[in-house]
Amino acid sequence: MSAILVTRVAGVAMVQDAGRPGHMHEGVPPGGALVPELLARANVAARNVPGAAAIESFGTLVLEAREDAFVAFDDGTARPLSAGTSLTIACEGARVRYVAVRGGLDVPELLGGRGTLLVASLGGHEGRPLRRGDLLRAGDAPRVDASMPSAPDLASPIRVVPGPDRRRFPDEALDLLLSSSFVVDARSDRVGVRLTGGPALPRLGSDSGPSSPMVRGAIQVPPSGMAVVLGPDHPTTGGYPVLATVITKDFGSLAARSPGARVRFVTQP
Amino acid sequence: MSAVTLELFGDSAWRVPLATGRDPRALLDALRSIPHVVDAVVAEEHALVAFDAASPPLRDDVEAAVGRAFVPATRAPGREHTVPVRYDGLDLEEVARETRMTVHEVVALHEASEYVVATIGFMPGFAYLRGLDARLVLPRRSSPRARVPALAVGIAGPYAGIYPFASPGGWHLLGTAVGFTPFDARAGATLALGDRVRFVPVPP
Repeated sequence: MSAILVTRVAGVAMVQDAGRPGHMHEGVPPGGALVPELLARANVAARNVPGAAAIESFGTLVLEAREDAFVAFDDGTARPLSAGTSLTIACEGARVRYVAVRGGLDVPELLGGRGTLLVASLGGHEGRPLRRGDLLRAGDAPRVDASMPSAPDLASPIRVVPGPDRRRFPDEALDLLLSSSFVVDARSDRVGVRLTGGPALPRLGSDSGPSSPMVRGAIQVPPSGMAVVLGPDHPTTGGYPVLATVITKDFGSLAARSPGARVRFVTQP
Repeated sequence: MSAVTLELFGDSAWRVPLATGRDPRALLDALRSIPHVVDAVVAEEHALVAFDAASPPLRDDVEAAVGRAFVPATRAPGREHTVPVRYDGLDLEEVARETRMTVHEVVALHEASEYVVATIGFMPGFAYLRGLDARLVLPRRSSPRARVPALAVGIAGPYAGIYPFASPGGWHLLGTAVGFTPFDARAGATLALGDRVRFVPVPP
C-alpha cells in the first residue's frame, strides 16, 4: 500500500472528495471539491473514480513518497513516485490544484463523505488542513478507466437562474447583476466567492425574517450590496436575500477563478 | 388546502414557501422519502429539496408531500433533551441591563422554558430553538463577535441556541453547555427538527 508524507505546506491544503450529500437537514453542507472538474481530472488520470478523495491545495505543497506511489494531477498528467522521491505542487496563478493518488486517499468515510469540513473539524485528515509531517495512505480501490473531463472555462459568463428572492430586490437589481462585471475578492474561500469591483446591488426591506434554506451557487446580497456566491461549505440556512443562483455546471468555472479575475453573469438560455 | 408553489433555486433545488400550521418534522420526513430527492431542509418559512439537475424528482410528489404534511401530525412527539448549562456567559449582565432584570431573573426565565427545535441550520448541529420567554427577546448584537466559543449557549430574537463549534456569531451569550455534544462526526446532529430541549443550570 503506498503512502505519501506531507513535507511542506505554504497556504492551505486538505482532503476533499465528491462531497457529503444527504445531511443538509442536520446542518451539514454538501461539501465536495471546490472545482469538481479538476478533482475529477486528477482522479481519472490516477485511474480512480472521479470523486475519490484527493488533495485540494491552495498555495504550494511538497510531498514525499514513503512507499512507491502513483500520483496524478488536475492537468491530466500522472507519474509514479518512488519511495524517497519528492514532488512540489504549486498553484502558480491557478486558484486551486488537485493531487490524486492511485487507490484514493484512505481517510475515514464520515456521514457519507471523506472530505474536510473545516467549520466542524469533520472528515479529511483528522478534520483539519494538512500540515508538515502528515502521512497519507492510499486506499486499494480497484482501477477504473473513465474519459477525461474538460477543465472549466475561466472566461465564460456564469449562467444563473433568477431568484428565488426576486421580490426582496427592486426590478433593476437583476438587470444590474446581468449587465455588470465583477471581480473575485481575495477573501473568497470554500464558504463563498465574494464579488467586488462591480456596483452595489440594491435591495428592498430588511433581513429580519427567519433564516431560509440555502444551496451552493446562491448569490446572496448582504446589506452592503456586495454579493457572495455560496460555495460547497456554505451555511445550510441564511437570512440574506438571493437574487439569482448559479447553475450546477458552472460551479467549477466560477470557483476556479483566482482573486482579481473577472466574472459576468448571464441567464441560463 | 392552499396551492403549493415550487420556486426554482438554481437548476438543482426547489424552494417551497410554507404556510403556518404544518408539522415540520412530518414534512421533512415526507420530503426526504421522495425518489430523487438528495437533500431536504425544512425551515420556518420555506422548505427545500435538492436533487441532481439531470434527474429531478416529480413535482407532483413534492406538492403532495407538502399537502400531506399540512394535516395535523400523527407522528410521535420529538425526543426530549436535557442540556446542563453553566450560566457564565459574557453577555449575561448586558442582557439583564437591556431587559431591565437581574442576572438571576434572566437565568430563571431562560431555564424555565421548554424549547422546540424549529430549524436546523447555519452550521452542523445548530438548532434554532423556539420557546424563549418574550421578555428575553432582543435583537442580535450590533457587532457580531469574531469568535464565539464552542458550546456557548445564546439567545437572539425569538430564539435560543447552542453553538456546536467555535464560529463568528452575533448572539447574546448566556452560558456554556456542559456534557452535551451537539454534533458527532459519526452520528451527526444530536438535535432534530421537532425535538424538545430543557436547560438545567449547573454550578459554575
